[in-house]
Amino acid sequence: MVKEIERAGIPVVHMCTVTPISMTVGANRIVPTVAIPHPLGNPNLPNDEEKALRRRLVDKALKALQTKVDDQTIFE
Amino acid sequence: MRLELGNIDIKEIRFADKSEIKDGVLYVNQEEVIAQVLEDDLIRDAHLEIAVPGESVRITPVKDVIQPRVKVEGPGGMFPGVISKVDTVGTGKTNVLRGMAVVTCGRIVGFQEGIIDMTGPGAEYTPFSELNNLVLVVEPEDGWKPHDYERAARVAGLKVATYIGELARDLTPDETVVYERANLRESFENYPDLPRVGYVLMLQTQGLLHDTYVYGVDAKQTLTTMISPTEIMDGAIVSGNCVSACDKNTTYHHQNNPVIEDLFKAHGKTLNFVGVIITNENVYLADKMRSSDWSAKLAEYLSLDGVIISQEGFGNPDTDLIMNCKKIEEKGIKTVIITDEYAGQDGKSQSLADADPLADAVITGGNANEVVILPPMERIIGTTDFVDKIAGGHDGSLREDGSIEAELQIITGSTNEMGFNKLSAR
Repeated sequence: MVKEIERAGIPVVHMCTVTPISMTVGANRIVPTVAIPHPLGNPNLPNDEEKALRRRLVDKALKALQTKVDDQTIFE
Repeated sequence: MRLELGNIDIKEIRFADKSEIKDGVLYVNQEEVIAQVLEDDLIRDAHLEIAVPGESVRITPVKDVIQPRVKVEGPGGMFPGVISKVDTVGTGKTNVLRGMAVVTCGRIVGFQEGIIDMTGPGAEYTPFSELNNLVLVVEPEDGWKPHDYERAARVAGLKVATYIGELARDLTPDETVVYERANLRESFENYPDLPRVGYVLMLQTQGLLHDTYVYGVDAKQTLTTMISPTEIMDGAIVSGNCVSACDKNTTYHHQNNPVIEDLFKAHGKTLNFVGVIITNENVYLADKMRSSDWSAKLAEYLSLDGVIISQEGFGNPDTDLIMNCKKIEEKGIKTVIITDEYAGQDGKSQSLADADPLADAVITGGNANEVVILPPMERIIGTTDFVDKIAGGHDGSLREDGSIEAELQIITGSTNEMGFNKLSAR
């Protein structure tokens, strides 16, 4: 899906936990996430901290989307 | 380290007033067995059924398959850390009930259990159709969480297998096989010219009912470590998995690991079987990196020339598999990986979620997406209520006449990644 959307001219950020798979399938902008069962959250955190964590991840993804890349890049 | 396995052939199972084994026939007092199972408050109801090879029977949903064994000589007891005390096992003598298994079945988690057909095309895909199966069907009390009930069902199966195994304590085996290993120094001295080969056994540990236990320890909470292959034969590793049926390693698979079996056969002849490394398959990337680093460190430390790596499950564990392979290869150690494929129903899609050019020696257990038609069976043990929902099934998998159209994934052990099945490819 990442590749097809980019082929249509729209940049994509792949947010995922297992970044090596993302590299293998050829995503250009990759943002590492929390864990496979809960990529964009953490049930072990209190609600307010989890919300902050989610916002950090989305902000990071939006920033990645606006960053020019020459090669496959993982935004740590 | 020396373990003698005394195989006792079980040709038939019958219900009787007294539990015993006589002339290859296992007699089971059902009430005695069920009383033990019902000791657990989480289990509301349980009963036993017998399934014989060739009989028109379908067992589903299958949770675990376990071979009854009993420790006759040497320290420890069966399933250490779970049923017996945590003493180290793997030496002395163990009696094995060959040709039979205890199968746990019933309403469990529902969507990730399997099917065992005792006859027809489905039977050809699972090694367990060739065994006399004592099936423990369990029903949970209402209101318990799935993970509590999973534990109860897991322990119930192990308890029954231990009870049956105990009946073989004083019997004379039909055949005895000896597994002997020297320590590292002696093994290097004994076979200076043979290639040193190790085995990396990957254990499914993704959590959420995808777990494996080593001496009772949840393996997702451990670092990669070493274990003696004979400890595994004595039940040191048990399955707590409710994952896709085709490529989960049941407790029976661990007890009878064919990679270990073959390495022992070749030991001292064509290779020096140095040891077994066990590693996990966790859901955090840092865990995957740490555990695979550790596999490679141990392989290097053991001065191995070659390593066989077997996987459990599919999807993100493909990354653990490739990390193990790549990192061990980068130490200058050759690897062969054993996996299976999810290549689509037509077999044309990419087989694994991850790949690397260093993974250039691959053994496959088959394509789990292949569609099979299973004809109706005369008797159902358990319930077919979950067939449409089990991984590999789809809405409408169970047809009105009782036949099933589903992906091979649905059959217990069909694409096993230890090679304990019949499918492969050249």
